[in-house]
Amino acid sequence: MDSHWDYVNGLLEQDGELREKIREQVADLDKKARDMAGILDKIHSTPSKSTSRVTPLLDAVRPILHNCHETSAALAAIVPPNQFWRWKDMWSHSIRTVVYAAALAEYLANGSLISLERTSETLGIKEEWKDRFCIAVEDYLHGLITMVNELSRLAVNSVTLGDYEAPIEISLFAKNLFAGFTKLNLKNDLLRRRFDSLKYDLKKIEEVVYDVKLRKLTAPRS
Amino acid sequence: MAYQDMFDEFKKEFDVQNDRRESLIKASRDITSLSKKVIFLLHRIMNEDAQDPSAQSKRASESGMAKLREVRAIYAKIKVELQSDLFWRHHRAISPCLQEYVEAISFAWYLGHSTLVSFNQVQQELSDENGVPFFPLPLEDYLCGLSDLTGELMRLAISGIARRGGRDRARKICVIVRECKTELDKCAPHVREVRKKQAVAAESLAKIEDAVYATVIRTSEYDLSDEILDCIISRSISAGHGGNSQGSGRHFCSDNAREDD
Repeated sequence: MDSHWDYVNGLLEQDGELREKIREQVADLDKKARDMAGILDKIHSTPSKSTSRVTPLLDAVRPILHNCHETSAALAAIVPPNQFWRWKDMWSHSIRTVVYAAALAEYLANGSLISLERTSETLGIKEEWKDRFCIAVEDYLHGLITMVNELSRLAVNSVTLGDYEAPIEISLFAKNLFAGFTKLNLKNDLLRRRFDSLKYDLKKIEEVVYDVKLRKLTAPRS
Repeated sequence: MAYQDMFDEFKKEFDVQNDRRESLIKASRDITSLSKKVIFLLHRIMNEDAQDPSAQSKRASESGMAKLREVRAIYAKIKVELQSDLFWRHHRAISPCLQEYVEAISFAWYLGHSTLVSFNQVQQELSDENGVPFFPLPLEDYLCGLSDLTGELMRLAISGIARRGGRDRARKICVIVRECKTELDKCAPHVREVRKKQAVAAESLAKIEDAVYATVIRTSEYDLSDEILDCIISRSISAGHGGNSQGSGRHFCSDNAREDD
């Protein structure tokens, strides 16, 4: 029985080493995620009407997103086959922030929604790593919700900065996204609660649109 | 809107995974309740009056193992839902039943072998005829199952202590539970769930130690061998139960006398 317990302890130590290795990479990913979130925070004080003002922010975010390639490859190499779901809780918080950054950058640059596939590409995640390292749909959706949270703030702040068109675009974009979310049968978890709170963001955005339109601050549309 | 298609895809995936999770939770409940029944069965058999304690444990172990094959059949059935990365995706849904299963099988195993079932032996039970595992048994669940086993062994030691061979059994259980607890304590830093369970295991061990201590103290008051004490105890117990079983008490005694020869 002693050798059995040695064996068990050996396995536990292996797991411990694995966890330690993952933790190192996650710390790295987390730093990148925070850096990007920090940069993107500045959109609230940057008038977006003149795209040239937002471009430097996006230019600062893009290389960091690109740097995530290394972390992705490292994690895919560390996680044993088929064990993605065993370890993913360790990095899900960071990856959600990364998704948020990628999604917001995409919206600011092109006014469009970044797909899950495109997000994975941006982070250098390969399809064949699916059982070891990928972006779970849940985490992608969490990232999108964070983006809408920020966009509702952006709607308010862009008006403050004199951009009266932004809220209208944001409103359209957020509504479409919300329509997508309503298709999902979510189980009773954090994602569900955060989705439920999306309607308050939408409401806030609509109020801003209403204020702007009421005062005829926007250019009349044909 | 292209991304509405994407959400349609997500919906499909969520629905598939949710259905799978629901069905696994159902199977998990079935397995848990069957495993609990096995544990009750083992206690029931061990609590019957028996002349030969070792034959009794063997019989209990065999019935338990037979019943656990039903549980194994459920695992074999749900294995398709747990292939490749699905196992870890849904591990939380089936972790409780794995722990309960380990508890039941380790109890049955102990009664048959007087040892702790090893991790690989449990994994072997959870494999098909060719030895291919249904899914990888998580070490955490094995360890938690063993931690729960200490509670069952405590019950076995104490409820049987007044029976023939009960004191000897309690002493043996005391040794194995102590070993089990020591080893699990070493594992505890690595596994949070084990850490939580170990407090209960420590209590169980203390109860067994107290019970064994009490028997040793009382035994020292009589200068008699274990067999004769067994005989006196079983006679006094059956006397308490009324006339009918008194005969069997005497029968035990004569049985013992023969063994002593």
